Amino acid sequence: MTERMSAEAPSRYHRPRRPFSIAGILIGLALGIGGALFFAWTVAPIEESDTEPWQLNASTKDQYVVAIALNYANDNDLGTAINRLVSLQLPGDPIQAVADAACRLATTGYVNSSSGLSAVRSMMRFYQPQGRTGCADSLISLDDGQGSGVVMIDVPTPTQTLTPPPSKTPTQVAAAPTATPILVVVPTIPPQNDFDMVGVTPSCTAETSGLIVVQVYEADASTGSPGQEIRVRWDDGESRFFTGLKPEMGSGYADFEMESGKDYILDMPGHADPLSQPLSASPCNTPTGERAVISYRVVFRAIG
Amino acid sequence: MVRFLVSLTIALVVGLGIGLYLGWVQFPAKYTDSTADRLAQRFKDEYTVMIANGYLADGDLNGALERMRTLNVENVPAYIQDTTERYITNSSSVNDIRALVAFSSGLGRLTPIMEPYRIVSLP
Repeated sequence: MTERMSAEAPSRYHRPRRPFSIAGILIGLALGIGGALFFAWTVAPIEESDTEPWQLNASTKDQYVVAIALNYANDNDLGTAINRLVSLQLPGDPIQAVADAACRLATTGYVNSSSGLSAVRSMMRFYQPQGRTGCADSLISLDDGQGSGVVMIDVPTPTQTLTPPPSKTPTQVAAAPTATPILVVVPTIPPQNDFDMVGVTPSCTAETSGLIVVQVYEADASTGSPGQEIRVRWDDGESRFFTGLKPEMGSGYADFEMESGKDYILDMPGHADPLSQPLSASPCNTPTGERAVISYRVVFRAIG
Repeated sequence: MVRFLVSLTIALVVGLGIGLYLGWVQFPAKYTDSTADRLAQRFKDEYTVMIANGYLADGDLNGALERMRTLNVENVPAYIQDTTERYITNSSSVNDIRALVAFSSGLGRLTPIMEPYRIVSLP
C-alpha cells in the first residue's frame, strides 16, 4: 500500500531538487544589474551628445534667452519664443524667467557694452508687454532713441584720501662757510582743471565713422591749443595723444579711432576731468543709409 | 553549494548585460550644466538663426559675433557661411536663410549661392 502511494504522488519529503538556486539567481541579478548601472552611469557613461537647451549651464541659458529675445525683436513671433523658452525648462513662468535673466545681466558687466545693453533692452521689450517686471526696469531705460547707450549709475564722487607728500625743506647747515641764502624752489601744483569741456556732439557720417575728434581751444575759444595731451581709456586699454599733430586740421585738433561696440572715457590728464559719460562706439545709419559707427566731436576750452 | 554558485554566476552575467543595456541605451546618463558647444546640431542651428535674426533687427555685427562665441566656434565667419549654405541646400525656411545670408554678408562671406536671398533695400 505504501509503495503504491509513493508511485502515485511524490512525498513532500522526497521532492526533486531544482536544477538552479532561486537565491543564487536573485543575488546574481541584483549584483549584476547594480554593478552594470554603476559602471554605465558613473565609470564609463556614454559620451555627451545631442545635448538639448535645458541641459545647458545657467550662464549659457541666459545667453540662449538673449538670443530668443533678439529673435523676437525681429520676427515678433511670441508663440515660437515661448516654445523656445519652455524648451529651456526654466523654473516658473518662462516669461518671468526672461525678466529674471535680464535682471542678472543688467547687474553685471554685460551691459557695459552697447551690444549687451541693446540685448537687455530687447529682453525688456519682450517681457514688459506681457506684464512682467524685473530689476532691469529700474536700472536701464528702455528709451535708447537719442541716448548715448550708456547706463547711468550714480557713483559717489571720489574724495582724495591720500595725504600730500611732505615737501622738501632746506636743512640748515650748522657751519655754513658762507652766508649766502639758499634759494629753495618750491614747485607749485598746477591747477587741476585749467580746461573745461564745452560740449560733445555725436554724429553719424561715413567719413568720420568711429572717430573721436578733439578740439582744444585757448580761453578766447578761437585759437587752437597745440601740444595738449588727451587720454582715452576703454575696457582693457588706454591711449594718449596730443593736439596739433595734424596741423592741416588746426593746431588744437586731435583725433582717435574707436572700435565699434566699445565704450571710451576721454579726459585731459591733469587739466580736465573725464567726461561724465563714456563715448559709446555704437553702429548707426548715415543720412544716405550707409552703415557707420557713431563719431563724436569733443571741445575743450581753457579757463580764462 | 555548487548549484548556488552556478546560478549566481549565470545570473550575474545576465544582470550585467541587462544593466549595461539599461545604463547605456534605455536610460543613459543625462548631462546637465553643459556648455553650448555640446548642443545638438539642430539647436546650434537654432541658436545661430536667432542670432542672425537679432543682427537683422539691430545691425550690431560685433554683438552678433560676440554672441556666436558662446558656441565656441573657432572661425565664426566660416561657420556662418557653412550653416547658411547648408540651409540653402536643404531648402530650409526662407526667412531663416535671409537672416543667415544677411549675417554672412555682414561678415564678408557672401557667396554666389546666397545672392538670391540677399536683402536689398531699394532707394
